[in-house]
Amino acid sequence: MAQFEFSNARELGQVFKHHGVKYLFFGRSGAILLGYSDSTQDVDLYLDKDKDNLHKIVAGLKDLGFQLTPQEEDEVRRGKAFIQLRDGPFDLDLVFAPDGIERFEDAWKRRVENHGLPIANIDDIIASKQAANRQKDKETLPRLISFRDWMKR
Amino acid sequence: MEEHRTQPPEWDDFDAAAKRSIEQHVRNSFVHTYKPVMDDARYRSWESMAEYRQWCDDNLPAWLGYSR
Repeated sequence: MAQFEFSNARELGQVFKHHGVKYLFFGRSGAILLGYSDSTQDVDLYLDKDKDNLHKIVAGLKDLGFQLTPQEEDEVRRGKAFIQLRDGPFDLDLVFAPDGIERFEDAWKRRVENHGLPIANIDDIIASKQAANRQKDKETLPRLISFRDWMKR
Repeated sequence: MEEHRTQPPEWDDFDAAAKRSIEQHVRNSFVHTYKPVMDDARYRSWESMAEYRQWCDDNLPAWLGYSR
């Protein structure tokens, strides 16, 4: 598995833009693209569950080099809540119903465009981690909240 | 009179990160480490986040931090 580089983010942005995919970089990977300094290993995308968008996602993933079986393509097109892809060009998590966010459209309106990429607002990233409330979220939240304060200083 | 710093220590990290190129920042931030069980399948999916959380509770080592 190759390490995720900014060139991967740029390519994902170009490919998804070409296909018209509506998505947001989310989670810790989204925060990192906002400038947050921490470590992670996978990319989280929050995607619009609109039927048309689901079809575009499959086309975009294939263009990026993610290998999907017909059954897996069907699951993406159905918008299963959470999908982990581990044998593409980088580790990718597709999230259609993140904790703490009611509707994609709301997060989309609050998004930040950074480096030409659509990224969830830091408030939404924090809200989702607060709602998930896993041990790893509890550990990272104080630093993430401090980053939000730093952004707004 | 000496001025005392009041900014949280991690803000020094954020200030330093902001001075790096985005390419270097991403290279520093994405670190691939093997996560047992989690990384042992090329594809997984769940119908709901509740189902995913339950799978994490039932299958992942606690030290990975995915439990609530």
